[in-house]
Amino acid sequence: MNSSADLVSRACRGDQEAFRLIFERYSRPVISFIYDQVSDRELAEELTQETFVRAYRSLKTLRSETKLSTWLFGIAKNVSRESLRARIRQNLHIDLDDEQVLDLSDRGPVPVSQLLNKELNEVVQRALALLDEDKRLVFTLKVFQQCSYEEIAEITGFSIPKLKTDLHRARTEMRQRVGQYVRA
Amino acid sequence: MKCDDCVNLLEAYVDGEVGEQQAESVRTHLMTCSACVSEFELLTAEAELYARYDREVQISPAVWNGITARIAAEPAAVETRERRDLRGWLAGLFAVPRLGFAFSGAMAVLLVMVAVGYLYTRTDQSPQRLVAASSERVKAGSATINKSDQTTLTPGSENVGNGPVQFVTVANRDKQKRPRAIPDDPGVLSADAAYTEIEDRDTASHLEQAQKLLVSFRTLQSDDDQEVDVTYERNESRRLLSENVVLRRDAEMAGKFPTKSVLGSLEPFLIDIANLPDKAPASDVRQIKDRVQRTEIVAELRGY
Repeated sequence: MNSSADLVSRACRGDQEAFRLIFERYSRPVISFIYDQVSDRELAEELTQETFVRAYRSLKTLRSETKLSTWLFGIAKNVSRESLRARIRQNLHIDLDDEQVLDLSDRGPVPVSQLLNKELNEVVQRALALLDEDKRLVFTLKVFQQCSYEEIAEITGFSIPKLKTDLHRARTEMRQRVGQYVRA
Repeated sequence: MKCDDCVNLLEAYVDGEVGEQQAESVRTHLMTCSACVSEFELLTAEAELYARYDREVQISPAVWNGITARIAAEPAAVETRERRDLRGWLAGLFAVPRLGFAFSGAMAVLLVMVAVGYLYTRTDQSPQRLVAASSERVKAGSATINKSDQTTLTPGSENVGNGPVQFVTVANRDKQKRPRAIPDDPGVLSADAAYTEIEDRDTASHLEQAQKLLVSFRTLQSDDDQEVDVTYERNESRRLLSENVVLRRDAEMAGKFPTKSVLGSLEPFLIDIANLPDKAPASDVRQIKDRVQRTEIVAELRGY
């Protein structure tokens, strides 16, 4: 009754309730994904709104064989990238403080179970933000959004070998930054 | 399999991206190679750490309100364009061309203001809110999206289908949110107890979902040699696998060894199902089904 295909079909016919259900179903993964790209809560909300407005405008272009989540992540990726480009143009770089990362790392090994949630979140967030755009995209789609390689390829437009390489390098970089917090 | 081959495949194996044959080779190698086991454990420990990552981002009501306002403005814009064309034609007849743009512009602004005002009054009319917690899995196409949600509903809006902005998502969490100690609350011990209770509830819920998954998997048709569509089971298994790793380690840290043991028994099944391709060979499905049957894992989960 409320399958994604059904909701899309109803939303295309102007059923706003169907689109609201799509939003309710996918807004959480979309905002999480966008936040991972831009590291800014308010901006993530704005870009989530922009993502769903664009999705609404182009619902009719959604091919039946494309998964709705994959399609939405694709739009969210474009919206996030545009925003990052605009910020670079305005010289408003993401506020990352490498010294803080080093400061956290210098505390020595701490089992993950003893890490306060807040501290852990900061460590992971900073480590993510230090990845380059492509690696961050691939890493977050695989590790946090549990997308398959095929889905990531569809969302990003990358070839499978490229995304595998990016994912491996991203994991290696992340390990260097958060490795001390991992209880192997 | 050599260590180099195993290490090259380990990430894809943990991601559930290798075929059954390769997965079997990796599993066999891991049984005999401590170096590769260390690498595997490191990867799963990292997965545990990332599973704990909580961005604490919320969908505020403003997001949906903004979307509806912008969407509402769009048909109006089309309408006003048409009207402008008509007015332009009329204006041409009566030689008052400049009025057309001002009129249509004013109409568009008016419509947006009315829409925003309407949405504002609908969302702000009831100060008392009812928080309904739900923890349901939503299957979207072949993908499952975790919706461990807390959704705030305004009174009288139990039927959320009646209005465009009758819900406010307060916090959707990949994992159920842990209760935080209230700073001036001296009852630290009771807060700890609540934490444990929620952890137990998480585990019980997790095991119930795993049990349903295995029962569902057991009923898959695999009698002939045709490929079996296991997309749903595979995706569900991947999600449960991440949870399982976290819960197992939590149970170990808390000294809950029976829980750890049950989760430990479950994990190989989740890994096996997670590593199946979308269209799995019937023989692979049968093999896992046989193991489910033989080990009576479902009964073990039920008994928890």
